[in-house]
Amino acid sequence: MGYTLNTAQANQVLAALRKDYTVYAPKRFRNQGRYSATDVIRYDEVERWEDIVWDVKSDYPAKEVLTPIQQAIFYFTEDEYRESKGPKKPILVLARPCDINAQHVQAKIYAGNGGYTDLYYERMREMVKFALMECPGGDDTCFCVSMGTNKTDDYSLAVKFSEDGAQIQVTDDAFAPYFEGQPEADYTPAFVEENELKVTLPDLEDKEVRKALKNHPMWKEYNSRCISCGSCTVACSTCTCFTTRDIIYGDNPEVGERRRVTSSCQIAGFDQMAGQREFRSTAGDRMRYKVLHKFHDYKARFEDSHMCVGCGRCTHRCPELISISATLNKVSAAVDEIKAGQAQQ
Amino acid sequence: MNHDINVKKTRLNCFRQSKVPGEFMLQMRVPGGMVDAKYLENVKHIAKTWGDGNFHFGTRQTFDIAGIKYENIPAVNEYLEQYIKEVDAELCDVDMDTVAHEPQPWDPKSGYPTIGARNITACIGNYHCICGNINTFELARKLEGIIFPSHYHIKINISGCPNDCNKAHMCDFGIIGVSKMTYHAERCIGCGACVRACEHGATRVLSLNEGIAKVDKDPCCCVGCGECVRACPTSAWTRSEKPLYRVILGGRTGRQTPRTGKMFLNWASEDVIIGVLKNWQKFSAWVMDYKPEYLHGGHLIDRAGYKKFKELILEGVELNPECLVAEDMFWHETEYRSNFNVKPIEQHHTAGPQA
Repeated sequence: MGYTLNTAQANQVLAALRKDYTVYAPKRFRNQGRYSATDVIRYDEVERWEDIVWDVKSDYPAKEVLTPIQQAIFYFTEDEYRESKGPKKPILVLARPCDINAQHVQAKIYAGNGGYTDLYYERMREMVKFALMECPGGDDTCFCVSMGTNKTDDYSLAVKFSEDGAQIQVTDDAFAPYFEGQPEADYTPAFVEENELKVTLPDLEDKEVRKALKNHPMWKEYNSRCISCGSCTVACSTCTCFTTRDIIYGDNPEVGERRRVTSSCQIAGFDQMAGQREFRSTAGDRMRYKVLHKFHDYKARFEDSHMCVGCGRCTHRCPELISISATLNKVSAAVDEIKAGQAQQ
Repeated sequence: MNHDINVKKTRLNCFRQSKVPGEFMLQMRVPGGMVDAKYLENVKHIAKTWGDGNFHFGTRQTFDIAGIKYENIPAVNEYLEQYIKEVDAELCDVDMDTVAHEPQPWDPKSGYPTIGARNITACIGNYHCICGNINTFELARKLEGIIFPSHYHIKINISGCPNDCNKAHMCDFGIIGVSKMTYHAERCIGCGACVRACEHGATRVLSLNEGIAKVDKDPCCCVGCGECVRACPTSAWTRSEKPLYRVILGGRTGRQTPRTGKMFLNWASEDVIIGVLKNWQKFSAWVMDYKPEYLHGGHLIDRAGYKKFKELILEGVELNPECLVAEDMFWHETEYRSNFNVKPIEQHHTAGPQA
C-alpha cells in the first residue's frame, strides 16, 4: 500500500504511531556542533514530523538508538543484582539504507559471534522496526554503492520526504491501521545507484601481503595526523566496541550499577592489559587495526560482507580531515607495491 | 615648502600628518576588519591616483594610504562618499548625521566626520575559525553606529574566543566571545579528551572522576573557550545556544602607563554589551565636562575612578542572569617612571563638572 501525505497528515500518522511505538529519527540540535554556530544532527525521539532531518545525512548513526553510548546493564546491592529493563514499547527507527544494513553487521557481532548472543542487543533488536528513509543521494563522503549497502528490503515502511510532506510505502501489514483514511498513492522507494565517491578495495587475500602491509611505512603518516580522539568510531555505523564500568552510588561500595559505555580502538589505552602492555601504542597502529578490521578481518570471520557500510561518517566527523576513502587508496597503493616486490623475488 | 594647514582638522577627517610636510595618510574605516573584497579596487584607485601607490594595513585594521597631498584631500573625500555610505551608513546602519548622538548634518563629499571612535578591530571569529565562539564582525557592525561618529575616543577590539588573538586585553574595551558549556553526561564515554584539552589549552577546570568515569568541572575558572567541545568525540560537551561575551576593560599601550585590561563583565549577553556601549558617550562627556579631548577611554576611566565608571556605564542596563560584574578593578601598570602619579596637585587631572 502507498500513501501521499502532506505535513499535517504525516503528523497525524506520526501521532498515531507514537501511541504504540517510540519513534526515532535524525533531529537537528542547534549550535551543538563541534564548532560554534554549527549544528549536530543525531538520533532522538521525534514528536513532530517537521523535526525529522531528511535532506542531509546525520552526523551520528542510527546505531545510537539500538546500542546507546551509555546503558545500564544491571543494578547491584550487596550479593543481589537485577537486570536493567529493555525498551518498554516497540521502536520504529527512520533510517537510510546504510544505517539499516549496518544493523545486520552489528547483529552478527552481538548475536552469534563466538556462539554467544548478547541479551541487551537481542532484547532491543526484537523491538525495532525500520522505516526506510529514501536516500536523496548522501554527500561526497558516501560510498555505499562500492560497499553494496545502498539497498535493503529490511523495512516495514519506506518514506520519501519532501518539503511539503511524504510518499510512504507500507510493506508490513501491522502498520496499515495507522494510515487508515489517508490519501492513497503508489510509491516504491528508489535506491542510490551511484555515489560521487567510488572506492576500490585493496586485495588483502594473501597472508604474506597482509604481513608486509602491517609493517608498511604508510601507517606512519597517521602518527602525526591522527589525534586518536575516536570521533571516527563513535560516528561509525557499525563499530560495536564497548567497555563496562561499575558505578557506585554514594559512599556504599556495595550498591550501584554496571554500565556499558561506548569505547574506541582509536583511543590510547583501549587495548591496555595488566602490566600496562599495549598491542597498538601509536596512532598509525590503531588506524591500521581499524582499517583492516573494517575491510578485511570482519569479512574473513563472517564471510558475507565487509564491516564498513560506506556511510562516510568517519570522514565527515574527523577533526583532522582524515578520509577513509583516501586511506583505502593508500592501502591499495601499498599493496601494489608489496605485490610488485614479491614478484621480483 | 610653504604650508598653512590645520593638521588637527585633517586628523579629525581621518588624514594623518606625514613627516613630509603637506602629505597625509588616509585611514579608511573597516568595522570588524571585514568588507567585500570589491573595495580593494577603491583602495587601489586612491593609492594609485592620489597616494604614493602603496597600501598599508593599519594597526587598527583600517585601509591606510600614505603620500596624499593636502590639495588632493577634497578629491579623495569626494571619491570616498560611496565607500563611507556603503560600509558605514548602510552595512553598519550608522547615522552619519549625528556626532556623539547629537544632530550634526554630514556633508557626504567631506569624508569622515570624526576620527573617533577608532575603528573596531576583530579577528576573523567563527565566520571561519574553528576556535571562534562568535561572529566578530557582525558584532562590530552592530557597535559601529553606537560609538561612531563621535569626538570621544574608544578603542574596541573583538576576539572570537579567549585565545584573544585580537588583543582585547590591550584596548579600552575588549570584547571576547565565550560560551557556557552544557555537559550531556549520557553521551560521555569518559575518554578524557576534554580534560586533556582544558589542561593543555585552557584553565585546567576539568578532571576525570575515576569513580563514575565522567568529567567533573570546577566552574569557578572556566574561561568559556569551547576547547572541550572541540575535543569531544561524542558531542557530550555543547556550547550555549546564544553566545556570551567577556569584557576586558582599560587595557592600553602608550608612552606613559601601558597596562593590560582587567575583566569587567563576564558571561554578558549581546544586549548588555550594546546597552553598556550606549552609555559610553554619556560617561565620556561627563568625565570631560562635555569638552571632548583627544584622549582614549582608559584614561577617562582612570579620571572618574572605576566605581564612578561602573555607575554611569551600567545605568539602565538590564544584566542577563548569568552576567557577572567586577566589583572593583586593580590594574597593574608598567611604570616606566616610579611614582609616576606623584606630582604637584595642580597637574592632577579632573573628572566631572568643573567650576
